[in-house]
Amino acid sequence: MQDGIVLTTVDDFLNWGRKNSLWPMTFGLACCAIEMMATGAAKYDLERFGCGAFMATPRRADMMIVAGTVTLKMATRVKMLYEQMAEPKYVISMGSCANKGGPYWQHGYHVLKGVDEVVPVDVYVPGCPPRPESLIEGVMTLQKKIANERLLRDKWVKHA
Amino acid sequence: MLNELAQKINAAVAGANATVHNAPDAKSDSSVYVEASKIHAVAAFLKSSGSMNVLQAISGVDYVDYMEVVYIFAKFDFEKPSQLLLKVKLTDRVSPNVDTICDLYPAANFQERECFDMFGVKFNKHPDHRRILCPDDWEGFPLRKDYMAQKVYNGMTVYPEGKMNMADREFIVRQKMIKGAQEAASSDASEGKVQ
Repeated sequence: MQDGIVLTTVDDFLNWGRKNSLWPMTFGLACCAIEMMATGAAKYDLERFGCGAFMATPRRADMMIVAGTVTLKMATRVKMLYEQMAEPKYVISMGSCANKGGPYWQHGYHVLKGVDEVVPVDVYVPGCPPRPESLIEGVMTLQKKIANERLLRDKWVKHA
Repeated sequence: MLNELAQKINAAVAGANATVHNAPDAKSDSSVYVEASKIHAVAAFLKSSGSMNVLQAISGVDYVDYMEVVYIFAKFDFEKPSQLLLKVKLTDRVSPNVDTICDLYPAANFQERECFDMFGVKFNKHPDHRRILCPDDWEGFPLRKDYMAQKVYNGMTVYPEGKMNMADREFIVRQKMIKGAQEAASSDASEGKVQ
C-alpha cells in the first residue's frame, strides 16, 4: 500500500500544524523590508496566518523572506543564512530585485540577478515593492504548497 | 571671493599654484585648482585660517585622460556662509595617488575610502585604507570609464546570460565604447554570446 490512509492522515495533521505556524526569519535587505514590516504590524497582521513570529535566528525559522536587493556582497551571507536554517525550510523571494535583479537587472554590476541563483525559491512575489496584500498572498500560496506535501510518505514508503 | 581665497592660499602655501576656474554659465559652479602634491598643506591652511571649517564631500571624476579629486569645503557661519570646490588634477591615471587629509578633517576618512573604492585613487598615509562599499576581494574600480565588471564573483555569475538581454543595443554600445573593452566584446561575439 503506497499511500496508506494512516500516513496520509498523519501527514495532513503535520502539514496543518506546519503551515499554520510558519515562522519567518527577521531579515530585510532594502525597501521591501519596510513593506514586510508593515505586513507584520497591526494593520495587516501576518499573525492571523500564523507567521507573525519573526525569529531572530535562522535556526528557529521555517521560512526566509528575501525582502530586497541582493547584492553580490550580501548573496554570500544569504546563502549562509539559508544553510543555517533547519529542514524543512522555505524561501519567499519578495519584490523585483530578489526575483530578477529589478532595476539593476541590465546594468547593475553589483546585484545578483535573482536570489534563485544562490538559494532555491518556493514562491516569487512580484512588485516594487509588493504591497502587504501581495506578500500575504505569497505566504498563503506557500501554505497551500505545504498543505500538499507528503513528508512521511516520502520518507517511509519506497517508490512513493 | 574665490580670487581672494586663491591669493591667500598662494601666499600661505608655496607652490600651491591655486588658480580659479570661473563658471561658464549660471548653472555651473566656480572652482579652485591646486597642485595635488600640496593638498595637505592647503587643507591645513584652510582649517587653521578658519576660512573653511567643514569638509562636506570628496569625490572623484574620471576624464579618461586624467583623473580629478574634488573636495567640497564649507564655512558654517551665520553672517557669511560660503562653499568652496577645491579640485586637484591627477595626471597618472594608472596609479593615481594624493595625500590624505584625514588628520585634519576626520570626515575625510570614509569619503577617501569611497573615492578609492570607486576610482582607485590611493590616499597616501590614510589610517584605514580599505574598500568601503564593494567587497574586499572585488576586482576593478566601478566608476572608472574603462570599467568592465568581472564575469564571476565568489562562484556567482555577475551577468547570467539566460537572464540578461545580451542583445540589448544600449548594452553592447556601452561596452564597445569603453576603452579596452573592445577585445572582450569581440571575443564574446566570436563565441556567439553577443549578436
